[in-house]
Amino acid sequence: MGRIGYILLYTCLALVAAFQIFPLLWLVLFSLKDNAQIFSGSPFALPSDPQFGNYLNVWQGGIGLYFFNSVWITGLAIVLTVLFASMATFAITRMNWKLNKFVLGLFMVGLMIPIHSALIPLFSMFLSVNLIDNPLSIVLTYTTYNLPITIMILLGFYYTLPREIEEAAVMDGSSINRLFFTIILPMTTPVMATTVIINMIYNWNEFVFVNTFISSDEYKTLTVGIQNFIGQYMTDWGSIGATLVISIIPVLLAFLFFSNKVVEGISSSAVKG
Amino acid sequence: MQSLGASEMNKVMSNKLMITLYIFPALFLIAVLIIVPLILTGYYGLMDWNGIGSMTFIGMENYINAIQDAAFWDSAWHSLLLALFSTLSLVIYLAVSMILASKIKGADLLRKIYLIPMLLSSVAIAQLWIKVYNPANGILNTILRGIGIENPPSWLANPDVVLYAIFIPILWQYAGFYILIYYAALKNIPESLIESAKIDGANPLQIAYKIKLPLIMGVVKVTIVLAIVGSLKYFDLIYVMTGGGPSGSSEVMASYMYDLAFSTNNFGYGSAIGFLLLIITLIVTIIIRKLTASKEDIQY
Amino acid sequence: MKKMKAVTFLAAGCATAMVMTGCNSESSGSGDGSGDGEQKTIEFMHLWPEGSSKDHYDIVNEIIADYEEQNPNTTVELEVLSNEQYKEKLQVTSTSGELPDVGMTWPGGFLEPYVDGEMFAPLDDVLDEDGLRDSYVEGTTEAYEVDGSTYGLPLELNVAQVFYNSAIFDEYNLEEPETYEEFEEIVNTLKENDVAPIALGNQDRWTGSLWYMYMADRLGEDNLLNQAINGEASFTEEPLVKAAEKTQNLAANGAFTQGFNGLSDQEAKSMFMSEQAAMYLIATWDLPNYTTDETVSQDFQDAVDYFDFPTVEGKGNQNSYVGGPGVGLFVSEDSDVKEESKDFVKYFSEKWGEKSVSDAGVIPATKVNTDNVDLPDMYLEVLDDLNNADNLTLFADVQMSPDVAETHLTAIQSLFGEEITPEEFAEMHDEAIEEDQ
Repeated sequence: MGRIGYILLYTCLALVAAFQIFPLLWLVLFSLKDNAQIFSGSPFALPSDPQFGNYLNVWQGGIGLYFFNSVWITGLAIVLTVLFASMATFAITRMNWKLNKFVLGLFMVGLMIPIHSALIPLFSMFLSVNLIDNPLSIVLTYTTYNLPITIMILLGFYYTLPREIEEAAVMDGSSINRLFFTIILPMTTPVMATTVIINMIYNWNEFVFVNTFISSDEYKTLTVGIQNFIGQYMTDWGSIGATLVISIIPVLLAFLFFSNKVVEGISSSAVKG
Repeated sequence: MQSLGASEMNKVMSNKLMITLYIFPALFLIAVLIIVPLILTGYYGLMDWNGIGSMTFIGMENYINAIQDAAFWDSAWHSLLLALFSTLSLVIYLAVSMILASKIKGADLLRKIYLIPMLLSSVAIAQLWIKVYNPANGILNTILRGIGIENPPSWLANPDVVLYAIFIPILWQYAGFYILIYYAALKNIPESLIESAKIDGANPLQIAYKIKLPLIMGVVKVTIVLAIVGSLKYFDLIYVMTGGGPSGSSEVMASYMYDLAFSTNNFGYGSAIGFLLLIITLIVTIIIRKLTASKEDIQY
Repeated sequence: MKKMKAVTFLAAGCATAMVMTGCNSESSGSGDGSGDGEQKTIEFMHLWPEGSSKDHYDIVNEIIADYEEQNPNTTVELEVLSNEQYKEKLQVTSTSGELPDVGMTWPGGFLEPYVDGEMFAPLDDVLDEDGLRDSYVEGTTEAYEVDGSTYGLPLELNVAQVFYNSAIFDEYNLEEPETYEEFEEIVNTLKENDVAPIALGNQDRWTGSLWYMYMADRLGEDNLLNQAINGEASFTEEPLVKAAEKTQNLAANGAFTQGFNGLSDQEAKSMFMSEQAAMYLIATWDLPNYTTDETVSQDFQDAVDYFDFPTVEGKGNQNSYVGGPGVGLFVSEDSDVKEESKDFVKYFSEKWGEKSVSDAGVIPATKVNTDNVDLPDMYLEVLDDLNNADNLTLFADVQMSPDVAETHLTAIQSLFGEEITPEEFAEMHDEAIEEDQ
């Protein structure tokens, strides 16, 4: 490519980058405005009278506890999803059994459920095992509802893993558990990092299940903080913006961390063609 | 040695206990928390039920009504259009990922910036795009007027354009998701393959098309399925930004189902729609799998 | 393999069976026992979160604190959700018989399925005690009536009024209209001067419905609109078709803000409040914005006034209002603490009536004695209107069953968007009402 080609390419890339980073900037501006400024002014406009009070409102809404709940519920669900999904994908792609296609088909059907179909049945089930208003119901739901998509993503990568490494390990007398935990999992770090990011975004922003299964304030998560500002006739958008800004910080940090893992894992693990 | 390894491997990998142990957690959770509700949705579809009081069995009536319901087919058509556009956009996402995964300067930073919007919740994305589309002082119409277009459309009010207007934020919302997956797949390609192609004199486009693409084809097929399934059951932004309106012109299957089940107390009928959504998704997925099937030992 | 399959399917089967049989294994988890002197807990779910509705939220807590003080054996446990989530949760919990002991419901079509399912307790005994029923504004408790029993104690009463910006009106020498013809003149004058006449966010649909309801109320005179909604008359009768036609013409004439069918009510409200539109038809729940809300500029609040919807073609009565009660309290039929809950809702609605207007700017469904409260003038005017009202035409989505309401709202959007004719609009209503009966 010539010099001009590169300049063109970079101009394009930079434009798109500006376009992609703009929403974050917009959100911060949004969080410092009141309803009047949000709806009548230009979204680009700087807040004429910055409403830092929005952040105070959010803080007084008891966001600390919600924040803590969001972190541990999201984290636990991610660990369970990625672990169970990796195990299932390993069994489907590597182990020899007859029903593997059927089970895979079942997992794919799991992708297709619209969550609102599941609300009433899930509520009854959790109620019958006394898990309503128990954070475990949320952890289990998040874990399960992310399993199909996580398995699908892992699948494409597992098929490309070279079998020679496993064979060598098995020849050395390695057990399946050891093979899985010490060889396969490290080899799939990049794709696991990918699924961690995806799981994290889903769990972190989810609110339908939390609101339905959890009643006590002590178990609610950050998205409930948003509900706090939606009124019967009035909604305090600026404070919702402030909640969104606060709640995006941890995901952003985690994203930057795992995003590096997507690349790192490859160079460190010994994948050969 | 090789065959001995393979047969030993075969034996180890056929251990029933281990297979059960590895598949059970995922299978159990999915069966109980997803498949059972799905079956129940089909079952509720056989009922005359407002979702609150008692239910009456009415056989296939809801399903028959749904099949004759023009509003349902409209919503299904809109969902299918979304699926089509989502699938086509994969090409763009793939191209972007190829650029980001290549060794150009600043690729790492660019990749991180490009994926930022996917971190935003639907609440934020909806608010942002409502500002973009506002007919009077929205970003889009301000720009259009700026370049001399006198009467730019009211994007979310015009039944002819609303559906496409709403597709754009949806496609944009999911761009990061696919780029991330493609990126990981591309980074998974052994460097040596690309190096040897370069030595053979292949240019970057040839490498992308002839080497990289075939190697990540498995992943691409997965994303096609994900894009289609995700689109057919899509709900969030449509519900928040247009509520399916005006007059149903942006209604999709999931929003139609939701309105029936939760807003107008036709839970039985809504469930039937939900179950048909599943059937339609299954049929489309099977067709796509057949179309994209190859001789390789890869199945999804 | 077989074993595993069996286990999975067994588990799945169990769960299915559990759900199909209705899962009433556990009754409402409230109440720690029923023995005398034991601590009782009333679960109370409402939709006024602290963040968005601080005043409401505080009053609720005050009332609860007072109640608990007077009834040391009773604790009230709160759960607060936002509007939409609240409705969803109410429906989901009802299917498992897990409704809160006390909660909020909307009148009319929303309430009916819960009454049909015997989920809500009749509250007539509460209303008949101490003449509570008489303390309500006429027509409010009736909206919660199904087959002769009342299932909710209304907390709010709202009527729709045309709010306008008097600064803009003064600029163009406009005056409050009394007839629709005068109103049309105002619209034309504003348009000629490039001022958006009316802010309308018709994505929410009930906003457009208000215009049609008023037009039909005026043109239909003797209750024709109500009769049509009840299926006793047809929407195709001339006055009602004309109402649809006039509404459509108003929209086609450019009276409403551009792209109204794609705008939310919130966006329209902001246009009115940032003085980008001269008029805005909204219910009195918006009064705090125009009076007490300190975040709204004083200049704007001084400029805002309202007028009663004009008479149309000399028909109708300006003292007839489109409005209705908003949320009301229900008591769950299956509650373990039903008697305590009934006692609580009675106490609550009495106290609410005393505090809501002065502390939160909510016009309660109970009659307000304006002598004892210090209120902004606009409130006094509205309360005065209510006292002199000749008729209250309930909001369409309150009067209609959910199915008919859905048809109505969709038809409204299409009517405004000129996708259907007034005649088609009328026929859609008749069909939906017939199908529903």
